[in-house]
Amino acid sequence: MNVTKSLDCTGLFCPMPIVQTKLELDGMTPGEVLEVIADDAGFEKDLPAWCGMSGEKFLEMKKEGNLLKGYVMKK
Amino acid sequence: MGDQIPGCCVHMKEKMTIILFSGELDRAIAAFTLATTAAASNMEVTIFFTFWGLNILKKETFAFPPAQKLMQKMFNFMSTARLPISRLNMLGLGPWMMKKLMRETGMASLEDLMKLAKQLGVKYIACSTSCGVLGLSSENLIPGVDEFTGASSYLSEARDAKINLFI
Repeated sequence: MNVTKSLDCTGLFCPMPIVQTKLELDGMTPGEVLEVIADDAGFEKDLPAWCGMSGEKFLEMKKEGNLLKGYVMKK
Repeated sequence: MGDQIPGCCVHMKEKMTIILFSGELDRAIAAFTLATTAAASNMEVTIFFTFWGLNILKKETFAFPPAQKLMQKMFNFMSTARLPISRLNMLGLGPWMMKKLMRETGMASLEDLMKLAKQLGVKYIACSTSCGVLGLSSENLIPGVDEFTGASSYLSEARDAKINLFI
């Protein structure tokens, strides 16, 4: 997986990590992959749910201790 | 509205509407959390502000227009953009503590969420009846208000929306 960009959302609560993800993806081109790092526990389920609504492609969610790393491909 | 593909169907964006009736900080944050998330999910979001919800749209420095009646002025003096919270308000100590905690824990403030809502294209409608009763016009409200309308306009949007909330 080639990560194009990384977005640090640690310290942010819902809805900010999702809204920031959306704004970041708006500036990317289709096929590019965004890594989003967050520590809000809700992000684990929120990111795939948001991808289901927005149509962006959810790739993977990695857990490293308290950190969540989500990967989304811009459609 | 949507892109029409010949011989196919009309692709409409999904819609969500919120009636924001309450004028408390905590309820407003809940409403704007959902509004910004829905707008970030490619939904078309409308918030209809009525009764106490209009306080969220009031300018912080409120000018009392000469046209306002005495009782309208009294109401607008007592009911302002300084929002209380719905439990444990304690004469303003509650909101102060809540805002301090939100800052310290990194939670987005209502101001942040409202800024994002506008950036994401959330539409604000002010109830024209409530504005009439309280003597409010666009000069008393923040610039983000898109329309002043009534129940019919709200309902015509709500009937097409999958999610309609009353907060």
